[in-house]
Amino acid sequence: MIIGAALLVGATVVILGACVLLILAVVAVRARRHSRTQRDEMLLSPLRPPLITVASGEDDDGAAAEQLTWATGVSRTVLDRNIVEMLTKIRGVPAEQLVHVLEVHGAVDAAVVEMSSRSTVKRARAAQLLGLARAGHTVPLLVEALGDEAVEVRNSAAYALGLIGDPAAAGPVLAAIGAPERGLPAATAAEALQSMGVGISEVLRDGMADPNARTRMVAAHLSGERSFTRGLPELRALLDADPDLTVRETSATAIGRLGRSEDVGILVRHTVPSEPLALRRACVIALDDLGEAEAIPALAVLLDDSDPRLAELAATALLSMGPDGRDALAGHENDPAVRSARLLAGLQKASA
Amino acid sequence: MSAPAGDPDASPVRVLVADDDADIRDLVEFKLTQAGYAVEAVPDGISAWEAFAANPPQLAVLDVMMPGLSGIDVLRKIRESEFSTVPVLLLSAKSRDSDVDTGFAVGADDYVIKPFSPRELLHRVNGMLARAR
Amino acid sequence: MSWDGFVEGLRSFVLWSMDVTAVPIIVYFILINTSLLVLIVLAYLEFRAQQRRRSTAVSWQGAGLAPGVSLLVPAYNEEAGIVMAVKSFLTLRYPRHEVVVVDDGSSDQTFARLEEAFDLVQVPRELPHEVPIRAKVLGIFVPRDGRTRLVVVRKENSGRSEAINVAINAASEPLVAMIDGDSILEPDGLLHVTRPFADDPTRMVATGGAIRPVNGSRVVSGRIVRVEMPQTWIPRIQLVEYLRAFLLGRTGWSRLGSLILISGAFGLFRRDVVVEVGGLDPNSIGEDFELVMRIHKRLRDEGREYSIEFVPEPVSWTEVPVTAKVLRNQRRRWHRGLWETLWAYRSMLFRPKYGRIGWLALPYYWLFELFAPLLELFGIIIVPLALALGIVNVPFAILFLVLAYGYAVLVTLSAMVVDEWAFHKHDRWRAIWQTIAASILENIGYRQATVWWRLEGWWSSLRGKKHVWGVMTRTGFDEDPA
Repeated sequence: MIIGAALLVGATVVILGACVLLILAVVAVRARRHSRTQRDEMLLSPLRPPLITVASGEDDDGAAAEQLTWATGVSRTVLDRNIVEMLTKIRGVPAEQLVHVLEVHGAVDAAVVEMSSRSTVKRARAAQLLGLARAGHTVPLLVEALGDEAVEVRNSAAYALGLIGDPAAAGPVLAAIGAPERGLPAATAAEALQSMGVGISEVLRDGMADPNARTRMVAAHLSGERSFTRGLPELRALLDADPDLTVRETSATAIGRLGRSEDVGILVRHTVPSEPLALRRACVIALDDLGEAEAIPALAVLLDDSDPRLAELAATALLSMGPDGRDALAGHENDPAVRSARLLAGLQKASA
Repeated sequence: MSAPAGDPDASPVRVLVADDDADIRDLVEFKLTQAGYAVEAVPDGISAWEAFAANPPQLAVLDVMMPGLSGIDVLRKIRESEFSTVPVLLLSAKSRDSDVDTGFAVGADDYVIKPFSPRELLHRVNGMLARAR
Repeated sequence: MSWDGFVEGLRSFVLWSMDVTAVPIIVYFILINTSLLVLIVLAYLEFRAQQRRRSTAVSWQGAGLAPGVSLLVPAYNEEAGIVMAVKSFLTLRYPRHEVVVVDDGSSDQTFARLEEAFDLVQVPRELPHEVPIRAKVLGIFVPRDGRTRLVVVRKENSGRSEAINVAINAASEPLVAMIDGDSILEPDGLLHVTRPFADDPTRMVATGGAIRPVNGSRVVSGRIVRVEMPQTWIPRIQLVEYLRAFLLGRTGWSRLGSLILISGAFGLFRRDVVVEVGGLDPNSIGEDFELVMRIHKRLRDEGREYSIEFVPEPVSWTEVPVTAKVLRNQRRRWHRGLWETLWAYRSMLFRPKYGRIGWLALPYYWLFELFAPLLELFGIIIVPLALALGIVNVPFAILFLVLAYGYAVLVTLSAMVVDEWAFHKHDRWRAIWQTIAASILENIGYRQATVWWRLEGWWSSLRGKKHVWGVMTRTGFDEDPA
């Protein structure tokens, strides 16, 4: 294999050339980042003192806020971006003053227009601005954005709806979780729904019947978190028969939080050995949470279970159920599970 | 509103503020300075500890989320030092229950959650210093 | 036989081998680097997506759906750093987590230090036996304050895998992460690596987080306060390897939905799934790789819908070998683990029910990870020989070098660009030059050495030699960066 110098030189030049280009790319990326930051800082510097004055709530006469409204051009754009950032950090009167500046700048109206931008980053940022500015009139627009093709925009829309807090958006947010191809991540949906007031309990009940397991889980979780007792029938149904184990566990936990004495039965029913171990444990913890004495006999039976953790969880629950609970431990005094539960309860009491 | 009137000849009460977020650092510094406190503001946990050790303040405001040493790490060092009784206020992001629990367990005196009201922060600082006297 | 006769015979042999293999070998070199380049393009797309995500990120502080995490820490003779490590794990920023340390029969003061630092008391509980254990558990301990979420389990020495299985049994949260006592976790690391679970709670079964070498960086109280480049060349070259293989290979594979390797130092799993498949296999060297394969196989066999994702944010930092000796042992072990696991799961190759794992990821690993050193070795031997025998001329030999290694440098530099853009962890400009130099130096001796060591590991496995773990050795990752 004798090859000509031409082929060698050609190949070497190509590869070496590409390497050099890449090295230049690394340098360029870093340099660009530095200069961008510096430029922004420079543009912002005359406006920073009034921005800080307003943000810290020291702008009683509104002079600083007015100064901010006079910004124009690129300075205005950079300032607006900084104001949006600032709004994620402060609240109260200073936040309202800053929102006012945004409105005067036309930033809120511009954001509405940007929601149709071709750029994902622009749409997402626009949605966030609308939320931080509490632009309640844009709720329908944001609801539509829950179905955007880009997950960043969907997340931002849900975030904005959470900030605005309009319960009318709860149904669409929940429904968006299970949308095929364009689902809304469960965590964002849950956070948004958390701040939407009591009006959403009916929406959550519907959510627990949704065909999508994630949706059911979020609905069950939030019902428990927000103590929506109206959702108990649905929670019980999920615990009994949902095909997804995570949904069942979440329902058990929720029932433990907001159930009543009549819910002891259903939780006990799922502590039997034929159920998955993780669910059994979740139900015992829920019974502990529930704190109802009806559970005592069933918990006593579990003290003999072959799973040590289950036995210890049952013992812990019994210890917190008053004299009757403690009586139920009779005969099991030397069980490792009971001794452990006692020891831990003692330690926690001692350091309280 | 300003710091409670004390001895007019006394030097201003010194407060240490640590936050890697320049916006928060600047606005808290401004607020507290306008209220009559002498503020030292640092951008991270290591500087916070070094500043504290060099010149212990009367109160510290620490952000929990800082790169390197977090506010809780710094708090732990403060509580283990000879100036362990300095009141400390922690700043944290919304609904971080574990931060709150850990913070109080390690010895924080108070807690402010972001997004926060600067006025409320000042109230709490004033309150903590009044109790410490 | 005369000298000339010998040389002539050798010549014919080499000519013949080259005839047979030369083109395939060059094609192989081009293919392997092209595939890596394809992965990099995929990773580039993924990074653009991540960059979009980051610049439009809505802060998630882990409330609500953040599932609880049990950090499993197997410890053997780690008295020097164990207390600091546990303290830093306990103060990670996460709403709900616990630390489970398993003292694997340490002969030093590991337990005593923990006992003193956390005021441990013994709890008379029995350990659940969800994952079968061989070794005897000697005791379970918790802090006296009854509030610090730490559990320490002492057991007889039987290796890291068993220690982790014991920890799985002792864990009480729904997710488990397996970490080494000398790993340093990013304070927000758990938030990043649990996010996929929070976003898709019913399907996500495992996530992996990126690892970076910590060598050279400034560490205070178990936290990294300043990221710096390693001081010597061996770890610097590994930095480059990790960049390339973990960051980009993983992210690329994750995008293809074929993530099969989760780095040994930071993987997060659903506890119930791990229990279901039986925990770590103590007899396997490629423990974590093997676990992931087992999960894939089981869930696909059962036709269950599931998801495994990789999180490109650096979640964990660990010390990489500094001397050739330690590096050699590590690479031997990795390749051996790779071979044994790939062989154990050979039934998954090309079966439709295993989807992309079966027809894309596994064949790739067989061809380009397992066999790679063999073919490289062949190239290393044949070409100089051919040059010496005048079969090829100098330009050919140089072309070979340029294609084989220049291309590798090209691929590495692409990785650097993407990393600079997405993460830019290193402040100094000096770091860039050092990284570039390392990516070139890698091909001058380092790469060839790892070829040999990997083959050594493979060979010792084929010979049936039992791997000398001794008692638990310090572990690195059970993945071999390409």
